[in-house]
Amino acid sequence: MSSPDNGFLLEIKNLIVFYENAIAINNVSLNFREGQITGVFGANSAGKSSLMHTVSGIILDMKEKEKRKGGERITWYGEIKYRGEDILNLKPSERAKKGIVLCPERRQLFSESSALENLKIGGYLADKTQGKKTLDYVFSLFPELQKLKYREAGFLSGGEQQMLAIGRALMAQPKLLLLDEPLLGLAPSVESRLAQAIKQIRNETKITIALSEQYARPLFPVIDYGYVLENGGIVLEGSSRELMDNPDVIGAYFGM
Amino acid sequence: MELVIYGIINSVSLILMSIGFALAYGVSRVPNFAHGALFILTGYITWIFLYQAGLPYALAVILSLIIIALIGAALYQLILIRVRGMPISEIIASFGVGLAILELLRWAGLRGMTYMLPPFMKESLNIAGVPVSYHRVIIVGAAMIMLFFLWYFTHYTKPGLALRAIAQNERAALVLGIDSDRAATVAVSLGAVLAGLAGVLLLPLGNIVVEMGYEVLVFAIAVSVCGGLGSWKGAVVASFLIGFAQIITVTYLASHYHFVVALLIIIIVLITKPSGLYGRQKELEERV
Repeated sequence: MSSPDNGFLLEIKNLIVFYENAIAINNVSLNFREGQITGVFGANSAGKSSLMHTVSGIILDMKEKEKRKGGERITWYGEIKYRGEDILNLKPSERAKKGIVLCPERRQLFSESSALENLKIGGYLADKTQGKKTLDYVFSLFPELQKLKYREAGFLSGGEQQMLAIGRALMAQPKLLLLDEPLLGLAPSVESRLAQAIKQIRNETKITIALSEQYARPLFPVIDYGYVLENGGIVLEGSSRELMDNPDVIGAYFGM
Repeated sequence: MELVIYGIINSVSLILMSIGFALAYGVSRVPNFAHGALFILTGYITWIFLYQAGLPYALAVILSLIIIALIGAALYQLILIRVRGMPISEIIASFGVGLAILELLRWAGLRGMTYMLPPFMKESLNIAGVPVSYHRVIIVGAAMIMLFFLWYFTHYTKPGLALRAIAQNERAALVLGIDSDRAATVAVSLGAVLAGLAGVLLLPLGNIVVEMGYEVLVFAIAVSVCGGLGSWKGAVVASFLIGFAQIITVTYLASHYHFVVALLIIIIVLITKPSGLYGRQKELEERV
């Protein structure tokens, strides 16, 4: 299947997500254009992570676990269309097979495995030639990882861990790469390094990227289109330039 | 010398008994308390194939291992999957299944000394003046091969790597396309096969009795707790620790102490190092 004529790889329509009675995502519609970087920005609790969980399918796993425990009831309404097909009730592993791969918040590496093993596990869905090719690509994107191959992932620095997490997601042969807060807790120099790498991925591969971030300054110049979330709803959207010129955005994110 | 040789054999037996339990817990965090029951069940099925159906020994063993793999998979798919993620319920459910299997076997007539598997080879050889039966040599050899196979499987094959991924971080593995329920089914099934393999290898040394099932479970737990839950390296080291401690007490005290020793070591390890010898819970917290 190819994406529909409008050029959107992923379309979210009127999505509503409830955790018990608390509304996490309030009737949002977002579009992710094929081959571009789309950013979702917002403060804590704005709904960024819930959105990422809903798109990657993690929310199904959360729902199942809560149900077994007798905990919160998680419900959702609306539509998520990937290449024109509704995926809202597909398991995360099935979505990954279709090319939707999440690089989770706080990296979530396999910390007792070596860096190389993390990448190998990431290549679970790749065949041999794809795996080899992507591995070379990851090392060309992040040469730092080359000499850390055999070190346990848990002993890498924050920036190296984030590079590894992105590399691992790339190994899964994504068509839509979801980056949930890729710059969380990193030093400014590492932030710009990663922002450049994300741009490089867009320029050199056909991967469509959706990223969410709280602290948006290093990423605004990198994205093609962006949404600003607040309390589960969209308050602003526009191209990178439009957002950067918007006085509210300047006030909130650039501190001027 | 006798002490060393029989210490090694006893330790290797403990590895065989516990590795399946340690593996199922290590890779899928499922504490399979039906482990001992699966051990005995395999022995019993093999006995039936061997003496009731008259199959050749090797075929009987292979068939019963296949059956136990299916039973393991069914145990996960039908029962454990419903209580996944709730450790206490998992323990109670799997222990309940184990109890049911063992007591059903007892009810069906598995009592007394009538049920025995023959050793693979009857002869024995001398190692440094100590007579050791070939069967015990085969046990040690098989355990070595099994450990190597497991290490290779979990480090260099895709299904094996997937199992370790799920064990370390389930959500991260899910979004990479790994199905956690399928991985856990494989893990429990593989654990069952390892329990069965241990049964087939070790039961010819004695009788197939129901009590042995409980004993194996206790040893498996002792080794896993002592070595650090889920750690293989720990399980192997702990097997040697407990194995030699048992042989030493049996030699210098009395043979019925070997059970007490296993439990005593659990207590000592838990007092001095609560996460076990190689337990790494909370040691590798992520750096933010």
